[in-house]
Amino acid sequence: MTAIDGSVLPAEAAARTSFWIRAHEWATTVDHKRLGLLYISSGLVFFLIAGLEASAIRAQLAFANNDLIGPNTFNRLMTVHGTTMVFFVGMPIFFGFGNYLIPLMIGARDLAFPRLNAFGYWLFLFGGLLFYFSWIGGDGLYGTGTAPDVGWFAYSPLTSPAFSPGNSTDYWILGIMVAGFGSTATALNFVATILCMRCPGMTLGKMPLFVWMMLVNGFLVLVALTPLTAAQVMLLFDRFLDSHFFDTQAGGSAVLWQHFFWVFGHPEVYILILPAFAVASEVTPVFSRKPIFGYEIMVAATTGIGFISLGVWAHHMFTVGLSGPVNTFFTASTMAIAVPTGIKIFNWLGTMWGGRIRLRMPMLWVCAFLFEFVIAGLTGVMLAVVPFDWQLSDSYFVVAHFHFVLIGGLLYNIFAGIYYWFPKATGKMLSERLGRWHFWVFVAGFNVTFGTMHFQGLLGMPRRIYTYDPGRGWDLLNLITSLGVILQAIGILFFLVNVLWSLRRGEDAGQDPWDAWTLEWSTTSPPPAYNFEKIPVVQSRRPLWDLKHPNDPDWRYE
Amino acid sequence: MAAEREAKHAGEGGIELPSPTPWPLLAAFGMTLGFAGLVTHPIVSMVGGVCFLFGGVGWWREVLPVAHEIEVPLAAPARRARLVEPVPETVDHLELGEGGHRMRLPTHVFPLSAGIRGGIAGGIAMAALAELYGLLVHQSLWYPVNLLSAAAIPSLANASTEQLAQFSTEGLLVGVIVHVLFSLLVGLLYAVMLPMFPRHPAILGGIVAPLLWTGLLWTSLGVINPALNERIAWGWFAASQLAFGLAAGFVVSKMERIATLQSAAFAIRAGLELQYDEEGKE
Repeated sequence: MTAIDGSVLPAEAAARTSFWIRAHEWATTVDHKRLGLLYISSGLVFFLIAGLEASAIRAQLAFANNDLIGPNTFNRLMTVHGTTMVFFVGMPIFFGFGNYLIPLMIGARDLAFPRLNAFGYWLFLFGGLLFYFSWIGGDGLYGTGTAPDVGWFAYSPLTSPAFSPGNSTDYWILGIMVAGFGSTATALNFVATILCMRCPGMTLGKMPLFVWMMLVNGFLVLVALTPLTAAQVMLLFDRFLDSHFFDTQAGGSAVLWQHFFWVFGHPEVYILILPAFAVASEVTPVFSRKPIFGYEIMVAATTGIGFISLGVWAHHMFTVGLSGPVNTFFTASTMAIAVPTGIKIFNWLGTMWGGRIRLRMPMLWVCAFLFEFVIAGLTGVMLAVVPFDWQLSDSYFVVAHFHFVLIGGLLYNIFAGIYYWFPKATGKMLSERLGRWHFWVFVAGFNVTFGTMHFQGLLGMPRRIYTYDPGRGWDLLNLITSLGVILQAIGILFFLVNVLWSLRRGEDAGQDPWDAWTLEWSTTSPPPAYNFEKIPVVQSRRPLWDLKHPNDPDWRYE
Repeated sequence: MAAEREAKHAGEGGIELPSPTPWPLLAAFGMTLGFAGLVTHPIVSMVGGVCFLFGGVGWWREVLPVAHEIEVPLAAPARRARLVEPVPETVDHLELGEGGHRMRLPTHVFPLSAGIRGGIAGGIAMAALAELYGLLVHQSLWYPVNLLSAAAIPSLANASTEQLAQFSTEGLLVGVIVHVLFSLLVGLLYAVMLPMFPRHPAILGGIVAPLLWTGLLWTSLGVINPALNERIAWGWFAASQLAFGLAAGFVVSKMERIATLQSAAFAIRAGLELQYDEEGKE
């Protein structure tokens, strides 16, 4: 038994460390590692819930004219699934990674504002709980409606009281807004920590790429989330105080909401994907036994993505009927963002090229991510072309595209990160055998589901429909798509079993099981509350390489 | 100062860290309830407000005037992090050019002037062959020029073969501009690309690249510009592309290469620092 400081407790004292004492420790903690684990575990719970919602959606769509789920419930499931995956799964899990790893990687004892960090986590959790409370409390003061049913982007005028009576939409607004305050606090913490608390010797040019990408990510959250919060406050005014920001019949503008939402919404894609890139940028060199290829270019590409991502939002709005020059601008900017993204892909490949690749679980996930993400990128470029988008917007082709981004890009790297840093956080290795079952079954299921979805889209199946008539060429494809979900669920089951089994019986990880090079691997697994006995001093981007190879340190070449 | 503080703490066997506190949790809970009251009952907002107030005051007192900290004792020696040990094996470094390998791509490049000269040479060779085609097949110097311009001038795109064989000021102007511009740009491309194919630049730049380009156009021009596609004599087209490739590739590859700054530090490449050789010259 280990106390908060990492020391061994006597058996008698350990026995007294009851559930409630431990619960109190976790509830009052300001330790970045504990908060990181809380973020990740809460995110995974929300992930399981969102997965169940998605399974229900696919069960309904497996057959034509199915009546398993009614249209209203379908709309709610669809809305809550999308919102959960973006705001309560993707963001918190990567905030968890950032929380846990940033101080360890930069040789600090904690984040810059530990109490604000705790505040941010609890806001996220309570925001999520408020959002889900809508399923039972959605009637609210007005006696109608339950969970939100307006889609994850809640387009106006659907959100006006006339079309969305009761409080269901208000739960969507408030849940996200509360969680958003938490996200802003966490992003602020990341930026301040990275800029001000690096250990001696760690200049910006010597920071691990993970930290660089979380820095850009922090700025993106600060810039992009505020317009959404502002728009949500305006929508609250519309709904509670009869203002007319988005009321088209009283001089408001529904398109204004779309601009506000997507000026947040597209950077949000990069808020989700940059940390995924960050994980890939740490895993790839370690498992290729080579330094990252083109470090400076990777940093430049990351900042490039950060800037360009703020100028591409209207490609979500091509079908609104924007003017020609506006369409042209957003087509060009959307295509331009493929350049830094492509640079990253080439640099990861360049890192692998000629390396001694070890296909352990983290690397397997990163390799699979490269395949899936290139497909996602290609369909993204296709959708950036306005006439193509006019044909396929709001079809299942788009659904397939963004799931390739968010599962093939984001979730695969979440898994890569968990397999990579689980030994550090718990002191136990995850089982490779169960991990491989998890990998192959899930990847097969993912491609069966979302690879197939492209074809429904090309055949004209619109998204958000709760059922369809038979004989339109979609029947078999929908059945295959839904069967893929079963495979994915089995894959996730392998993952859960692996985590629970490995926590109890996993092989001891030791301090540095991967022979890695960044600072977190220089302390114990799990690290003590204070992270490092002495604040480390670094001379290169791979401080542990320097220590392991004193005759050939990296700083000679950087 | 920080180092002294660290040493002091290490000597005492403990390290100060922010103390655990319930106030952020209470403040977050209060804030959430405050908003939840909008969709449940005003009483909920009031309770939330009170919680937030208590949480905020508690937090304030937690950090002011001095932030509360706890001294966490160092872990028992047996449970502390091991020092990172040097590994016995040495690392072999690939030297530049060793075994035919290149450590970085490319280590030497052609100057931009090589691309411009290559583009001019290729452009002349291509134009000569195109004019030969015009004279032999259409008995006109202007046919190839007008055909090139037809891609940009709608009136020429719809013109008959006889009209294309006639002199057109507009066609000459556009044709020369397009030809010169593209010749220079492709010449520059050759200067950039050829160092990346160090083994057989003549074959790759002179033959393979023009044939690939011709093949690409042959398969796609019917979709892009069907009218132009009908008029192109693909044998002559391929020959003129080859002429360009061979002439540009020859001129570019004969130019002296210059070393890149690939091996230099980022600060030098970014122009933030100057690079000096062993004798101290800039």
